[in-house]
Order: sequence, then C-alpha cells, then structure tokens
Amino acid sequence: MRAKTFFKGGIHIPSYKLTAQVPIQRLKDPKRVVIPLSQHTGKPAKLIVNKNDLVTEGQMIGEQDGVISASVHSSINGRVKDIIEHPVPILPRVQSVVIEESPEVQKDSSSVSRKDWRTLNREEILSIIRNSGIVGMGGAAFPTVVKFSPPQNKKITDLIINGVECEPYLTSDHRIMLEYPDEIIEGVEIVSHLLGVKNIFIGIENNKKDAISLLSDKVKGKNIAVCALKEKYPQGGEKQLIFALTGRIVPSGGLPMDVGCVVSNIGTVLAIKRAVVDGKPLIERVVTVTGSIVKRPGNYIVKVGTLLTDLLEQIGGLTEEPGKIIFGGPMTGVSVDQTDIPILKATSGVLFLSRKEALLADYREFFPCIRCGSCVLACPMSLNPSGLSVLGENERWDEMKSLDVLDCIECGCCSYVCPAKRPIVQFVKIAKSKLRRIV
Amino acid sequence: MNWKIFTNGIFKENPTFVMMLGLCPTLAVSTKAIYGLGMGIAATLVLLGSNIFISMLRKFIPSKIRIPAYIVVISTFVTIVDLLMAAFLPPLHEALGIFIPLIVVNCIILGRAEAFAQKNGIIPSMLDALGMGVGFTLALLLIGIIREFLGAGSLTFEMLGKGFTLSLSKFDPMIIMILPPGAFFTIGLLMGFFNYLSILRRKQINKEGDK
Amino acid sequence: MKNLIISTAPHIRKDRSIKEIMWTVVIALIPACLMGCLIFGLSAVRVLLISTCSAVLTELLICLIFKKNITISDGSAVVTGVLVGMNMPPVIPWYVPAVASFFAIAVVKMLFGGLGYNFLNPALAGRVFVMFAWLSAMTTWQKPSPPEWFMKFFNLPYVDSISTATPLNIFKYHGMDAVVEFFTSKSSMYKHLFIGTVGGCIGEVSALAILIGAIILFIRKIITPLIPFFYIGTVALITWIFGGNNGLFTGDALFHILSGGLLLGAFFMATDMVTSPITPLGQIVFATGAGILTSVIRLKGGYPEGVSFSILFMNVLTPLIDKIFHSRLLFNIIMKKKNKVV
Repeated sequence: MRAKTFFKGGIHIPSYKLTAQVPIQRLKDPKRVVIPLSQHTGKPAKLIVNKNDLVTEGQMIGEQDGVISASVHSSINGRVKDIIEHPVPILPRVQSVVIEESPEVQKDSSSVSRKDWRTLNREEILSIIRNSGIVGMGGAAFPTVVKFSPPQNKKITDLIINGVECEPYLTSDHRIMLEYPDEIIEGVEIVSHLLGVKNIFIGIENNKKDAISLLSDKVKGKNIAVCALKEKYPQGGEKQLIFALTGRIVPSGGLPMDVGCVVSNIGTVLAIKRAVVDGKPLIERVVTVTGSIVKRPGNYIVKVGTLLTDLLEQIGGLTEEPGKIIFGGPMTGVSVDQTDIPILKATSGVLFLSRKEALLADYREFFPCIRCGSCVLACPMSLNPSGLSVLGENERWDEMKSLDVLDCIECGCCSYVCPAKRPIVQFVKIAKSKLRRIV
Repeated sequence: MNWKIFTNGIFKENPTFVMMLGLCPTLAVSTKAIYGLGMGIAATLVLLGSNIFISMLRKFIPSKIRIPAYIVVISTFVTIVDLLMAAFLPPLHEALGIFIPLIVVNCIILGRAEAFAQKNGIIPSMLDALGMGVGFTLALLLIGIIREFLGAGSLTFEMLGKGFTLSLSKFDPMIIMILPPGAFFTIGLLMGFFNYLSILRRKQINKEGDK
Repeated sequence: MKNLIISTAPHIRKDRSIKEIMWTVVIALIPACLMGCLIFGLSAVRVLLISTCSAVLTELLICLIFKKNITISDGSAVVTGVLVGMNMPPVIPWYVPAVASFFAIAVVKMLFGGLGYNFLNPALAGRVFVMFAWLSAMTTWQKPSPPEWFMKFFNLPYVDSISTATPLNIFKYHGMDAVVEFFTSKSSMYKHLFIGTVGGCIGEVSALAILIGAIILFIRKIITPLIPFFYIGTVALITWIFGGNNGLFTGDALFHILSGGLLLGAFFMATDMVTSPITPLGQIVFATGAGILTSVIRLKGGYPEGVSFSILFMNVLTPLIDKIFHSRLLFNIIMKKKNKVV
C-alpha cells in the first residue's frame, strides 16, 4: 500500500529509535507513589480520601469534578501518607496524594466479572470509561469521555487511531502494537461501537513496518483500515493525520469533530479495552526510558505516580550526569529540574540527554531573524513563524493573534530548522497564555 | 526680555531638526550654502514682520477666520521681501525662484503665527520670530555647506561679485549630494545626530539629578 | 542531579547557523571573483580588497562606537563587501568602492538595525549610491586583458576590437546587429559572454563562474532555484518577445541572459533572504516583477542596465508582497471555498 502524508510543511528528523526492538518489561511495584489530582486538561479531580486511609490498587482517590475533568485512581496498595503540593513536569505545585506501600493492605486477586461489552449501550460504556479515569495518552491528556461525547450537531463518520509516534526516541506505542495487537483491535472495536462510525483507520508511520504488517493481518475481515504513513514529522499531529487519511482540513480554530473525525492515541484505545473488558482503571502505562546515557534503555510498564528517582534506580541508572531530563519526546516534551517528578498518565517517555547533546539546542543566545524562510516552509499549519518570532521578541502579543498564533500546534518544526537559533515555540507559548487571559 | 524664547528657536525647538517644519524649501534650496543663507534671511524677515503684526492684531482678528487673515499678513511681507530681493540681489532672486513666493505657505511662519504670535505680546513674538528664523537659517547653512562641499567639491560664498571660495583640489565631488537623495540623506543623518546628542544630554541631566 | 538545563521544546535542533550560511555564500562568490581578476588583472584585485576591507572595518567601527556586540565574524559584512566590489568597474579610484561599502554597511544595514533589518539589498544600494555620486567613474570600463594561456584554455576566438564598452552599452546605443558585428559572429559573442572576456563590472562578466557559484549554493541548500528561475525566465521571455528588431518573437534572449549583471543579480542579489519575500508564492511575484522591470529598462528605458534598479525596487515592495501573499493565503482560500460548498 502506498504511504500517504500531509501536504504542507513538516521536516525530516533522525528518529533515534534506540529502544524499538526492546520488549516491554514490567517493573516491580514502587514502594511509594505520588499521584497528582490533575494529570489532565481541565479541572483537577476532587479528593475523596483522607490522610492515613488504606487504599487498594485501582481504588478511586479523586473523582471527576465537572464536565471537563477526569478521575484519578491509586496505582498501588498502601496507605495515604500525605496530601501535599508536589511538582509535576509543567507546574511547580499540584495537589497530590502520596501513597506508601503498607503490609496491612492485601492485594486484591479476585477477578472482576464483566458483562460482554457488545451487550452494553453507549452510555454504559462511557460510564465505565469515566470511572476508569482514562485520558488521552499521547501527551495532551484530554479526558477521553468528553472527546467521545461530541455535541449532537457534530456527526462523526471517521475514527482515526493514532499509531504514528512520530517523535524521535519514543517507542512505547510501537511496542504495544507489536505485543498487544489483539487487545488493541478489541479496543478499536469498542470505540467504534461507542461512536457508531462508518470508517476506521489506524495510522502507522512507515518506520514501523513490523507493526504495520502485524496489525494488517489482525484486521483482515474487519472494517478497519491499517494505513502506512510517510515518515515525516509531525505526521502524528491530529490535523495532519486527518488530512493524510481523509483529505479533510480542520478549519482555523476548529476541532477534529468539525470535520466529522475523532482521533485517539493507540495507547488510550488499549487502556479503554482494559477498562471495559478487564475492569482495570488507568493506573499504569508503558514508558520509554531512553537516551544515550541510560544504562539500560527500554520500554517499561510503570505504575502511574512512580517517581522518576525510583524508576531510574530500578533500571540501573545513568552512565554520566545528565544535561537535560525531558518528560515526553524531544520535539514537544517538557524539561524538568529534578528527578522527584512522578510519571503521569500521559507520560509516554523520559529522555535523558547528555550535557553535550543538550547544549546543541541552547536558546540562551539567539540572533536576529534573517528571514531565510526555512520555518515558513517547515510549518505544517501554514503559519509564519518568522513573523511570530519577531513580534514575540518585541512583546507585541496582540498582533500575533492576527498572524493566527492560536492555530499553532507547537510541534517545534520551526525552532528545529531555524539557523538563527530563535526560540519560536517559546514566544508562541507566551503569546497564547497572554491572549487567552485577555480573551 | 526673555532670551529663553530666542534660544528656544535655535536649539530646543529648531524648526528643521526638531519640529521638522518647512522641509520642502530646505531640501530644495540647500544645494548651495549661499542660497540657504539667502532663503533663511528672507524667511526670517517675513517671520519677524508677520509675528509682530499678528501679535499686534491678535485681539482684533476673529478666531474663525484667523488663517486667511494670517495669510494676508504673511503674503504682504513675502511680497515686500520678494520685490526687495529682485531689486537688490537679482542672482539670488533668480536662483531661489519659485521658493520665494512659497515662503507664504512655509509651515514655520504659519505655525509660529498660530502657536505663538496669537497668544503672546509683541516683544515675545519678536524674539520668537528671531529665534526661529535664526534656527532655520543656521540649519539651512549647515545643510547647504555639507551638500555643496561634498556635492560640488568646493564652497562658494559670493554674492554680486564679493565673497570667497573654499575648495579642496583633487576632490572628485559626489554629485549625488546636490541631487534630491543627497538632501534627504543629509537632513536625516543630521537629525539623527542631533537626536543622539539630546539623548546623551538627557542621560547626563538624569545622572546629575540622581546625584 | 545538579545543573540540569531547562528550556522549552524542541530540545533538538538542526545543525545550521547563520555563520555557515554567510561563509558558504562567500565561497560561492570566489569563482566569479577569480575570473574577474584573471580577466581584468591586478586592478580588480585591488578593488575587491578595498571594498571588502571597507565593509568589515565599517561594521567593526560602528559596533565599537555604539557599544554593540561585534558581529563581523558572522560573515555578512564580508558578503556585502565582496558583492560591492564585484559590482564595480575594474579601473576605479579607491574611494568609490570604499564609500560604496561604507554606505552599504553603515546606512543601509546598521542604521536600520543591523543584520536582518535592512530594507534594501546593501550591496546594490551602495552601488547605486556611488553610481549617482561618481557617474563618470562608474561608467569608465576597462578592456578585458586575460593572459594568453587563459584565451588558449577556453579556446576563445580572438576579437580584434575588444574594447572598453560593455555589450549592453553597444546594444542600447547601436542595436543588436552592432553587438554581433563587434564580436564578428553570434557564436563568438555567446562564447565571450559566457566565459566573461567582455567589458563590464568585475563580478558580473563571467556567466560560467557565476553558475558554478550558484551550483554551490544549491548543493548546500542556501537558496532554492525559485527566484533565479522566475527572474531569468521572465527576462528571457520578455526580451525574446519584444527585444528584437524584426517584429515580435525575434529577440535574442540568450544574449540578455548572459550579458550585464542579470546572472549575478538573479543568483546572489535577488535571493538575499532579508530583502526578498518569505513565502514561495511571494518570491515568485518578486522575481517576476524584477524580471519585468529589468527587461523594460534594458529595452526601453534610459539606462543600458536595469538589474540594480529592478531588484532595489522590488526590495522596497517586499513588505507589501509579504502582506498580500502571506503564508496562510492558500489555506484561507481553500477554507472559504469549502464553507461556500458546505
């Protein structure tokens, strides 16, 4: 099958998939976890446990607060040691529940009996997803139950499963496609049953040929199309994916549902299957720990809330002092200043860069924009990053609005190619926060 | 006698470099230093006359028709200066040509009438006119000297056979300086230079104020 | 973990810098400079040295006087200086290239904010400035005097009356036939124009050397062929249609492509990133406009050569072109159409 792609912009970057062939390994349960009440877009969960309570693995400790919110569950058996404000990748302080393992809590080994999902109606399936705290696991962490409940006037005809994983270094989605294909397909069928769509696509980038052929085999006879996509960053961006697979363009300021599509990460789909069929809420995920200085890079099943310090200790640590620690991928991830940061539901990987590697992308000194146009050619949203960077440098946030800065998907293509080393994405982020406060 | 009004027109509110008034005759006439000087003196005389008269009549001219009234006064003085120049300095009169009658609509003269003469007494108006006129003349002289020297290779200060010529031999003149672009370059760079000086001065005043 | 670096994404970057771009352009200019020096001798070397040193010194002085970071190491002053020198006739008093470089760096580039802020191509603006300052010096040409081995190496037909006038000069004042007669035959004319043994400015005479430089730029991905293609193409088209003296479609497009500063302008001046539009569509408009202007000036205007004025004029229009042909134009048009259909 010929590989498709999006038409405008994008860049070719080295993929550094060091861990693509490393099978998934389950880590021992950590002795303590720090579970933030806000790991998703929207209002934080409302706390429903108290200090010193005993909790079991999978027990809800924070319930959804409002429409755009998600519930949070304990990922280990133990006792609630404390409820404190703890740093997470983006924010310095988020209310979190610290749970420590306790010999008093017995592991609940009884299996949950679930009704066959084919007999459940839409509302019942949504309710299971809601109570399992499932959010988008590709990085944005949008509450899944909201995404799958589009308003009445938006007709959804296409379901797109995002197995692209275009970010360099990350391989967790690749490995789950290779090792849990049947569960994934079942998850896709659940979502399709839920939304009632006509077409189903699974988009996979061309550099994962083994996953493409495996899943293509598994969907034989089903109404699911596995599509190979050209290796170009940011193929995994939802707007680019929609164009590549359906030819439709999401309007400026719009959402996928405006063109009849719902896009979901393949890890989310797996979590949905486990919630609906096995009764497991979202308490663990596959995380790619990678980088040239990691002693044993690989893809590990990590409990949500595990501190990076504990995770690093379990897998053997690093070969030298790191220069940068990144939660997520190198193009859109967040750099952190310490290792006592918990792994969240949407953390797809942790990347350790050596000091030398980190300094290759130093933004402390940048040059004036020489209008070379590389960024304009690279931008997949047809924006003018050069103009945005000059306005941002001079703090003219209002004028950036008329250059459509709110349409920026912050993919990082522009900053990557800029020969003047300008921090364009940073200016965009500041502009968005300032504009959203005014608007 | 408030001499501050006089120096105001030369430095703080120089009509050419600070208020940017009357740039059209400035650009056109400063191809030779002597023409600049002549235009400056002519404009000063007109300015003097018009400021004094308008100041004298300021209580009688109704506000609604003040502009036509000013024009009448100014054009009277321009006509006087024009005829005087034609009689006593014919080569200058020919060189300045149409720019002499155009002094009527020179923004400096109308501007000072409106901004100063109609609100102040005769003596202050006279001082203001002199200050502005001298400032204008000095500006024209400066620009004219630069342009003529660079653009023609020598400086010729003579009228009716009397005067002197300064020239540097072996100097291939830059013709562009006596063409219109040269005028813009000269005025622009001089303006920038004076702005820079005033910024430095302000910094110094602030420093002294902090002490 | 101490001393961790924190920054926004992306955390990796392509290994490309302004320094690299500028110095690659300098290297791409070397073939044309070498050819010019071979054809015109030591006087050409002198002019190039003066213009380059003047440009670099001017930038250094201004950075020191106004207490800014010294930026001469990024190579942009050297590029401007070399380009100014390439736009000068070989025999010219020392102050002409010196003042041209000074004007280009001090007024056009530094006064407006330095690198990235010039609103005109500095080298061309410098050249036009001195052209109006010292017109006779800028239109005094030198007879091309390449060494014997040069003529033998390129197998050039010997032309008895290789004189000081430039081919475009002869074309403007005496017509196309006079040019052919001057070179004794059309093939001889093309050969001389291609190699560069004709009268003209140091860097613009040799089409061969400029093309070699252009290929270097393409390989290193400094420029794309978009602007040169449309600029040269438009000139070729218009001069073919209107440039002949036997009615329409009889013009000698090849002559116009190879003569004057068209190739130098198309590959090295019009492609200057700061002063050309930032979107591909805008660049097409820019190049086509410059092509039309160049052709009109060459065929009907008062000057024999129109490249400098055309490019400078389009430089001034670039902000307007960027505003009209902005990067989201295509997107907006498609969305408007879709909304009408839906």
